[in-house]
Amino acid sequence: MRLRSPSLLLIALPAVLPALAGTTRIDDSATLPYAAPLTVHWEQPSPRPPLNNFMRGTLTLRVKLNVAPWLRRSGRIYLTLPAQQPGPMFVSWVTQGHLLPGQLTSGSRTLVYSGPITTPFIEDTLELTLRVDGTRLQEQLYHVNFNFEMDE
Amino acid sequence: MFPRRRDALQRLGGTVLHNLGRRLVGCLACGALLAPLGSAGAFEVTIAPASPQTIYLQVGVGTFTGYYCGNNCQSYPPIPPNTPTPPIGTPGNNTTVNTVSVSVAAAAVGNRTAQTMTTNSTQSDSFYDGFAFCNAPAQLYIGGFYRTTASGNGSINVTATVPANLTDAAGDTLSFGTISWTSSGNDDTGAEPFPAATFAAGTVQTIGAIAQNQWAESCWTFSYANTTVPAAGTYTGTVTYTATTP
Repeated sequence: MRLRSPSLLLIALPAVLPALAGTTRIDDSATLPYAAPLTVHWEQPSPRPPLNNFMRGTLTLRVKLNVAPWLRRSGRIYLTLPAQQPGPMFVSWVTQGHLLPGQLTSGSRTLVYSGPITTPFIEDTLELTLRVDGTRLQEQLYHVNFNFEMDE
Repeated sequence: MFPRRRDALQRLGGTVLHNLGRRLVGCLACGALLAPLGSAGAFEVTIAPASPQTIYLQVGVGTFTGYYCGNNCQSYPPIPPNTPTPPIGTPGNNTTVNTVSVSVAAAAVGNRTAQTMTTNSTQSDSFYDGFAFCNAPAQLYIGGFYRTTASGNGSINVTATVPANLTDAAGDTLSFGTISWTSSGNDDTGAEPFPAATFAAGTVQTIGAIAQNQWAESCWTFSYANTTVPAAGTYTGTVTYTATTP
């Protein structure tokens, strides 16, 4: 019994590996500004038909991703926006070319890089636009968290 | 593969160490796999609405920049050729004070037949949708909106600050209570947001409400009751309309 138990563990590991090792959060703590203020404005200043209650704002981010753990390997990097307050959000961005432009909705993720990791850091400047339903906003600040994830 | 691994482990030591070693390897593997799930990284965007509350009130002529783009507004940016500049319509400030007036024929003064008044306002079209909602100069447009964040069924009241009297150059007076209005709108249905009423002389009078994130509008047709015989003259007075956010 003592001999069989470790053997089972080693057999089980390869089956677990793809699921656990598949996605890893990337250290993006060098991104500036890291806690960025974003003022959103009514897309439709007056409530005329068809009524649009969305508010939107745009900010520029200098993204710096620490991809050293994957150096000389290949991977796919995603920008993720977990579902969170104040509710459904729609994000789009353009880049300077190191990362891919794209869009996503909260609760999903979008590919921003695919290929070999040749440098310890991947850097780019993103012009990010966020849209949110204004009727979901109360008189408070909302801290919206984004993540970059690596799929191997 | 399996025999080779077993051989390698066996070279590490005896039976006890052998098993311990394999368990450590298993635990380290677990640790390596779990670590990324809790690693750092999550940049944050702090969103705050700018000018979350906006009100617009128009009595008579008004100003709006950016024209109505109908269903094409659903796309962002709106589909050409209806791309508005600036986008989607922005209310402006218009300081015009319109008048509503009537000249009563000498033979009709005080005959208890209400005298319909007309306005010098030229605004018939609604900035809401470009529709000819009112019929100037017979009708005076009144409308506006209340923009706010948060869901709910809130509304704001619109009030009229009504002097006690209209006066003429000689100081003669005529009660504002002699003036009333009916309310309607072309192709309109349902209750008017600014319903028919009579001025409550010398008071601040609520004359309607605007629900949040909606546009409210009506067209008023004023009339003078003509139930008294005042001194001959031109009687004037100014009513000020006010919309206030909470």
